[in-house]
Amino acid sequence: MQLLRDILDKQVVDREQVKIGKVDGLVAELRQGKPPRLVAVELGSIALARRLGARLGRWTARLAAKLGGKRQARPHRIAWNKVRDIGVDIEFDIDVRRTKIFAWQHWLRDHVVGRIPGA
Amino acid sequence: MKKLLEISLGVVTSVGGFLEVGSMATAAQAGALFDYQLIWAIVLGTVCIAFLVEMAGRFAAVSHHTIVDGIRERFGFHAFIWPLLAVLLVNFLVLSAEIGGVAIAAELATGISFQWCALPVAFLAWLLLWKGTFGLIEKGVSMLGLVTLCFVVAAVMLRPDWKEVAVGAVPSLPQQDTAKYWFMAVSILGASISPYLFMFYSSGAIEDQWDKSYLGANRAIAGLGMGFGGTISVAVLIVAALVLGAHGVNQVDDYNQLPLMLIPIFGFWGFVLFVASLGIACFGAALEVGLQQAYLVAQGFGWTWGEDLKPRDDPGFSLVYTLTLFLAAVPIAFGLDPLKLTIFSMALTAASLPLTVVPFLFLLNDDRYVGKHRNGVISNAAVIFVIALGFVLAVVTIPLQIFGGT
Repeated sequence: MQLLRDILDKQVVDREQVKIGKVDGLVAELRQGKPPRLVAVELGSIALARRLGARLGRWTARLAAKLGGKRQARPHRIAWNKVRDIGVDIEFDIDVRRTKIFAWQHWLRDHVVGRIPGA
Repeated sequence: MKKLLEISLGVVTSVGGFLEVGSMATAAQAGALFDYQLIWAIVLGTVCIAFLVEMAGRFAAVSHHTIVDGIRERFGFHAFIWPLLAVLLVNFLVLSAEIGGVAIAAELATGISFQWCALPVAFLAWLLLWKGTFGLIEKGVSMLGLVTLCFVVAAVMLRPDWKEVAVGAVPSLPQQDTAKYWFMAVSILGASISPYLFMFYSSGAIEDQWDKSYLGANRAIAGLGMGFGGTISVAVLIVAALVLGAHGVNQVDDYNQLPLMLIPIFGFWGFVLFVASLGIACFGAALEVGLQQAYLVAQGFGWTWGEDLKPRDDPGFSLVYTLTLFLAAVPIAFGLDPLKLTIFSMALTAASLPLTVVPFLFLLNDDRYVGKHRNGVISNAAVIFVIALGFVLAVVTIPLQIFGGT
């Protein structure tokens, strides 16, 4: 398997097949005397912005922290050992409702979209 | 029997998607100025879009992913960002033009200036997306779109010289207004080969839960649907050539000239039919382009999406089409000329083609997505042809816009 070809940018779904996002970044652990090991995938705007440039990444992180509090200042991570299935989509054994990944969508639902009649 | 019904519904839907403000305006302008000489551009554009739509549908039916998903996943975010930005911009202009088209129809019908109609039109479109389901939008609006068949009736009743029509289907060099001629050709190609059309089609295949059993239906819908759409465009061109051209209206630079087209044939009802055709075709397209913006963003970033979900269950997706629709109405509300915007955005669409069509060559030949349903020689040759055409268009559009644009 090639990490960049087969993992990065693929669709991520949770155990209920809910679309959570794309794999926006990879986190590897460097180990002494052994090959590096993939430990997590990253999701969200900060991880994406970092790929376009370090400065853009810092700005996005600062903006996210200002809007969503300190917990939103880092990209969301899903531990690699939670992976269940790697195909065209990558399935993780998690429940997105128990993570902070959709916090901004929930905020939108509660404060903007949900307030418009008929939503 | 069920499949047959599904195919006919699909054909009607894709006719509705094909015919919009761009194809109507460019065909009418071309007919008025160059008689039948530019029919070849409609034919060429229709063949190209039929191939792309078939591939987009096949890709979605087999892989359960849309073309946008595929571009992001296969090429990575660094490559994806360019088609993303280009299509967002082009779609925005096209959406604005469609809203302008409906607003003009409303002005013709009520006498209220189109500027005042733009925001109510956007609101109505938004309301349908907010409350409606995909099936309602896809089937309901496109059924109404059948009113545009009046152009085909009109074209036949005008008894054109069919031999001359056939000659027009073969490309030829213009005797006059060379820059204008090529600019019109580019705009017609842009109006026919729109990225929103094949992207929307692949999202629609997912919304309608297509699987491999739909591959035959997909082929029929793509071929027949685009074929009928192209036929109606050719009919608009013929009517424009015979009515507008014959009355000495060579330069269509105002939407108010267009309703004249059907009056010699249908009398007062010609005016009504024209207004209804323009309004419905543009409204249907506005719904599709508005939705497509939301599909594009949601699929590009991997969010939950679906027009059948309640807005509260996919807030990010719903917010994108809400913002897009209202923002796109703003230029029209400020009085930007819808016809000029239409022609401009069609040419820009043509210029953006390489960014969205090059990925087809890779995605439709990737075993992981399409398995044994990958492209054959003919489909690949068609993609390569559209890519080559796209690059030529991208290079010539801007100079032609300066020398041949209105």
